Amino acid sequence: MNAPTPALVARPERLRLVGQRRQVLAVMQQRLMFAMIVYAGIIALIVLRILWLAAFGDHAGRKQGITTLVPERGDIVDRDGHPLARTIDAWTISLHPKKVIGSKLELARTLARLMPEKDAATYFALLRSDKPFFYLRRRAPPALVQAVNAIGEPGLAIDREPDRLYPQTSLAAHVVGFTDIDGRGNAGAERAFEDRLSDPARRGEPLVLSISSRVQQALENELNAAVTEFSAIGAAGIIMDIHTGEVLAMTSLPQLNPNVAGAGSPEARFNRATLGVYELGSTFKPFTVAMAMDAGVVKSFGQMYPCPDQLHAYGQTVNDTHPFGRACSVAEIMKESSNIGTAQIADKLGRERQKAFLKKMGFLDPIAIELKEKGRTLTPGNRWGPFETMTVGFGHAVAVTPLHLASGYATLFNGGIFRPATILKVDRNHPVAKGRRVFSEETSYKMRALLRLVVTEGTGKKADAPGYRVGGKTGTAEKLVGGHYATNVVVTSFAGVFPMDEPRYVMVVMLDEPKPTADTYGFRTAGWNVAPVVSKTISRIAPMLGVRPDKRREPNMAEVLPFVREDD
Amino acid sequence: MSAHGFKSVFMAASVAGAALGCYLISLNVASERAKLEDVEEKIVLAQRDIRVLQTEIGTRGRLAQLERWNARFIRLSAPSADQFVEGGFQLASMVRPDKRPAIEAPVVLAAAPASEALGRPVVTSDAADAPPPGVAKRGDAADMLRTASYARPEPLAEQKPSKPAAPVTAKPAKSATADPLAPLPSAAASAKGGASNPLSAKSKDRSTAR
Repeated sequence: MNAPTPALVARPERLRLVGQRRQVLAVMQQRLMFAMIVYAGIIALIVLRILWLAAFGDHAGRKQGITTLVPERGDIVDRDGHPLARTIDAWTISLHPKKVIGSKLELARTLARLMPEKDAATYFALLRSDKPFFYLRRRAPPALVQAVNAIGEPGLAIDREPDRLYPQTSLAAHVVGFTDIDGRGNAGAERAFEDRLSDPARRGEPLVLSISSRVQQALENELNAAVTEFSAIGAAGIIMDIHTGEVLAMTSLPQLNPNVAGAGSPEARFNRATLGVYELGSTFKPFTVAMAMDAGVVKSFGQMYPCPDQLHAYGQTVNDTHPFGRACSVAEIMKESSNIGTAQIADKLGRERQKAFLKKMGFLDPIAIELKEKGRTLTPGNRWGPFETMTVGFGHAVAVTPLHLASGYATLFNGGIFRPATILKVDRNHPVAKGRRVFSEETSYKMRALLRLVVTEGTGKKADAPGYRVGGKTGTAEKLVGGHYATNVVVTSFAGVFPMDEPRYVMVVMLDEPKPTADTYGFRTAGWNVAPVVSKTISRIAPMLGVRPDKRREPNMAEVLPFVREDD
Repeated sequence: MSAHGFKSVFMAASVAGAALGCYLISLNVASERAKLEDVEEKIVLAQRDIRVLQTEIGTRGRLAQLERWNARFIRLSAPSADQFVEGGFQLASMVRPDKRPAIEAPVVLAAAPASEALGRPVVTSDAADAPPPGVAKRGDAADMLRTASYARPEPLAEQKPSKPAAPVTAKPAKSATADPLAPLPSAAASAKGGASNPLSAKSKDRSTAR
């Protein structure tokens, strides 16, 4: 650094000192530099972070709350968009005993006054317990919430919790189903579409059912009136669109209120329409005739069969309630619901063909529908011999759900194509299910007149709704009680289709154990108790469904009328 | 030290100023965004309230409740098949035409006393009188048909011999005569109180509709 002077030829100690100093300086510089870099880095980091936050970051007042209204669980609506199930925020009142600061005894008395479902002693016990948390009331009304809030006790917490509400209460309860306390689907559509309803991506959109509230209400009301009138233990009713398989209304009685599903009896929670299987009796006969026509066994409704007072076959006896005692045509067999005649037709048809048809109609499998509550059909199984073929022909020894029956009638009258039933509305997002042909179109067409005959002249006269061309078949089946058929315990049913000249809707109604009344002259058969329900319901719903009443239109009755003897 | 020495200071100041400006803008944007979010949240809360209220109204006015009210108070029932009409034509045919304007009445009233006497015999007018020349060829057969059931008309009837010109066809006499004589009964009726006026108008209407 300095000019070299002889004086500067320092002593070695001094030189060493200088060297040391330099070294120290260098180290210090290094350290300083390092510290500076560190500080600069930190400052740079902070500055960058600030800039980043300024440019892209959240501001201080940003709410972390809701920005879109997505319910905790998807809504369920009917085909017209009326809500059947909704999740709303309900008030809950809860108790944190540890946080209570006031007089516990006083508080217990106040609570007992406000919420009298528990007495003061119980509240006091709760207040003194060691547990941290109790629900005092879920789904509390606003007035109570206000009153509890006015107490001003920090130990009483008032919160909002999502709660499943069924605004129409018991309407379509068995289709909609209900949820448990944690909001998970436990029955019906709530259970069948659990994933769809709780999926955050899809629950914003409501689940649209095929149910029509107004049709459902008409059916439930009329059926409930019948259950009361005939003191039946239960009932089921189904209305279906025969072309799409959409279930417009489905009910099972006794009623269930899904808002308090736990309070309902097991009987009420049981879905008779899809889970219960019943021997539905004579309502099966049209299937037998249609099968026989399709198979070529019956060539015309004028084909005659001997109809004695009793038919002895395969070591057993078949009886009729109104025996002909003469030869009768197929039209007459159906009109008077003759077991003997139908048994002979079924016998000619044979077991294999009968089984094949039933299989194609889905009668041997659990019902095809989205609901998880499906009953297992009962058939003769291994004992399906020639006599069983006969009894199955008139609806005995085979037990299916009412929905099977509705589905079968839909198949029979929509041109012969089986389509699985659905509880979802058929639209762009949910096209009509693929069908499979069971009956020929001609058979389907001819059966119209035959079933219209049953209503105009036969056992189902009371089911007629003037102008709506109802056709259908009554069925009265004795119930199996303790292994024997009880004569005075019956299941009555009616399966009807309207309007018969251009079938659009099928309606199946079933009463479980109806009792005779004075109005029915002591009868308990289907023609007296179920048929009027059909008539009243169709008169109510048909205008809603766009079916015009017209007294001048009828199906082609020339198919059957020539084969019915006028004066019996 | 010259301006050159302050250059870095100016640089730093301008950079700081620019940064501050940027920051102010971003702050402004952020506060606008916050306001927007407040509005959005209010909308959502309002929607939630609407939902709750809708649900409440829906629950109070549920179909089962409406049905109960209907059964107890309103008592509406399903329409029967006869309550449906085919279309506008059938609907129109159910409605009576309005009365004629009263302005015609005074004109007819002048003839009222005369029509009192003529009122009854109107029916008999197309009796076995000589048929009018215009319809002579059909008149023979028609003549024979009517005379059988007929009381010989009073000379009174002969006052209007040419009236039956229209009714010569086999139509019932009443409706046929109603047409040409329309003013007369209406005049009589309006004198009495006008009860039969719409009737005659209606029958006339029908005959034209055919």
